[in-house]
Amino acid sequence: MINLLRVFLVCAKIGALVFGGGYVMIPFIQREVVSHYGWLTERQFVDAIALGQITPGPIMITATFIGYKVQGLAGAAAATLGIFLPSFVMTALAAGQMMRLRQNRRVAGFVRGVLPAVVAMLLAAAIAIARPVVGDWRLLLLAFAALALLVKFKVDAVYVVLGAGVVGFLLER
Amino acid sequence: MSDSAPNDREPRVNPDSPSPIGLPQLTLMMLKVGATGFGLGMVGVLQQEVVTRRSWLSQEEFADGVALANLLPGPIATDVAVYVGYKLRGWRGAALSLIALLAPAFAIMVGLTIAYLRYGRAPHVQGLFAGLNAAVAALVVAVAYRIARSSLKSAAEGGLVCAAFGALLLHANLVVLMLACGVIGALLLAPQRKSET
Repeated sequence: MINLLRVFLVCAKIGALVFGGGYVMIPFIQREVVSHYGWLTERQFVDAIALGQITPGPIMITATFIGYKVQGLAGAAAATLGIFLPSFVMTALAAGQMMRLRQNRRVAGFVRGVLPAVVAMLLAAAIAIARPVVGDWRLLLLAFAALALLVKFKVDAVYVVLGAGVVGFLLER
Repeated sequence: MSDSAPNDREPRVNPDSPSPIGLPQLTLMMLKVGATGFGLGMVGVLQQEVVTRRSWLSQEEFADGVALANLLPGPIATDVAVYVGYKLRGWRGAALSLIALLAPAFAIMVGLTIAYLRYGRAPHVQGLFAGLNAAVAALVVAVAYRIARSSLKSAAEGGLVCAAFGALLLHANLVVLMLACGVIGALLLAPQRKSET
């Protein structure tokens, strides 16, 4: 029960902070779920993100994996509810206040200030995620190919992630 | 901007349709979007369903939802879905939209997690996950690049990225870092007042 509540609260905290889209959960999960609570290993954390990407729906469904790992199905439900609840409440409240919020220059300035922090956090997270890749030149090449496909050729992330999985599988045989 | 009342707290129904859009219809549509859209791509699928196919909201109303989603925390696509649900059927519409949007993903993710925890350590899938790891690293860099390109508009913001990165190397607390940058932004980067009255 304690665990269930803790999973819910940790995920709710992350859910309230993901300015700039679902991927912004990644640095927070790394700090909280992996480093602080040790609910996932670094390895499982990266795998969970990959699974979240190839699953239809939002990438933040990765929370379901975390919750399941900690406390089975109930944990999965608590984590999923927790991570999506803050933005749900804020969006529904704001939907009726659209004009006032959009014209508030302090709100716009706040988000403008937050996004550079988000960029730095993502880059720092990428360094940690890339650690196992850097040791193997084939994987490094694969990562750069994936980056080119994503940024230069605008290929959908689902296909890039799935394709890289297949390539990795074939390399290992 | 089509909102006529400055303070439209009350959920609004489509002015062109005589009866409000049914909750079952809304739920089914969100289930479909949740099962067929991936990540940010869901926004496009949602727009197709809500604006193009069903005309439940106008293009402008939908774009307002996307703008709102960019101001608020949370995944852009789920924020937009909640906005659409709220616009059409108030709180109940918003809640059902979120639940329906997440239901397929939740079911699939539970299945994948069970499979992963059982077979993820098998030797012949190690290569698979090594490949996925390479792609996820690239993906995170690509997302950082996308956000940087679309939102960093001045040298001040570039400086803020460097300062934040430096703070991260010193193991700064993420929440404190994010809020500090937000406050700096609210004080220094707020857009100029235009035609506010």
